Amino acid sequence: MPQIEIVTGVVLDEVALDLDELARACSVDALWVVERVEAGLLCEAAPQQRFSSAELLRARRLLAIERDFDANPELAALVVDLIEEVGRLKGRLRAAGIDEK
Amino acid sequence: MEFKDYYQVLGLDKNASEAEIKKSYRKLARKYHPDVSKEADAELRMKEVNEAYAVLGDLEKRAAYDQLGGRYRDGQEFQPPPNWDAGFEFSGAGFSAADMGDFSEFFANLFGQAAAGQAGRGGRAGPRPRRGEDHHAKIVIDLRDAYQGAPRTVTLRAARTDAEGRVSMQEYSLSVQIPKGIKEGQHIRLAGQGGPGSGGSAAGDLFLEVHFKQDPHYRVDGRDVYLSLPVTPWEAALGASVEAPTPSGKVQVKIPANSQSGRKLRLKGRGIPGEPAGDLYLLLEIALPPADTDKARQLYEMMAREMAFNPRLAMGV
Repeated sequence: MPQIEIVTGVVLDEVALDLDELARACSVDALWVVERVEAGLLCEAAPQQRFSSAELLRARRLLAIERDFDANPELAALVVDLIEEVGRLKGRLRAAGIDEK
Repeated sequence: MEFKDYYQVLGLDKNASEAEIKKSYRKLARKYHPDVSKEADAELRMKEVNEAYAVLGDLEKRAAYDQLGGRYRDGQEFQPPPNWDAGFEFSGAGFSAADMGDFSEFFANLFGQAAAGQAGRGGRAGPRPRRGEDHHAKIVIDLRDAYQGAPRTVTLRAARTDAEGRVSMQEYSLSVQIPKGIKEGQHIRLAGQGGPGSGGSAAGDLFLEVHFKQDPHYRVDGRDVYLSLPVTPWEAALGASVEAPTPSGKVQVKIPANSQSGRKLRLKGRGIPGEPAGDLYLLLEIALPPADTDKARQLYEMMAREMAFNPRLAMGV
């Protein structure tokens, strides 16, 4: 019988991640994040950089594409842009009651 | 524990070159990529492919695995022989302890100590103060959970190291409070529920990526929720007050006279709660009663006679 704990978390967009937390969540160095922010591949650079759920998901997708296909960061970002766009369009199809399959 | 034939997973023979292994991995990573694949079991297959590549894509692990591999078939009962890996040095490169939750018992047993050591869990590298790794998992909830908030149980797997440094995969359950107002794709961060730290350091965090179970009635876009609401021809034509379901309970809705199929009625603030709350959209669908009795047929015939209505007029016919 597995042990059951009751835990309460926070919604990431209510308490955003800082640079080190995002890097740790992706198992990368902070420099990896900084380079992609400065290049505009992850999100727009801001003085008090905080990262939302969407940026965590984007960072993990970028990392997976770069790692799995030895893709350079710009190419990985293009792939992730397309994945996100397909996701948005699928969401609109679902909202309109159209099955995308 | 069953033996895993990693060559079979990647569709290769045992003499495959490094280039062939990489090529096959990329081909399968594209085929089973969870964001684009249409295969039903894409996520599971991707995990298998990643696991196979974590071994075959690493020279040291591949060499040690090859030493075992000739004697076993895929699925065959397997226990690693004592000192099976003598003479090989695993660095833990190519995967992290965080990945281990996705890998099989077989992998954890053979190569888990390398990852555990890398994470400073008391494996061969010895205990070194180090914060535990952050872990990631998905949780699938009902739309109603986002409206009301609710405790939901999620089952996870993680590699655990015992006092003697043996690594095994353990399943455990967490009951998680789903916060009211959560949206698809958002993350719930559970502090200290990730990988254990070592040398007195804190455990990592667990990030749960939220997804909604497909609902037979409701569709969700951000915080907005959509529902197709069937209405009768007379309710649509004459206007009516009808009862409609919403994820937070039934409401009375006024159907404006002369409504057509596809008309969208917005119930402001009745989408997923939040600041601001989403809206609930009702898409009217006019449902025709079947002409399956004499009385029903007479009524349709009377309408045909009495109503000058040509729905194809705009088409010029």
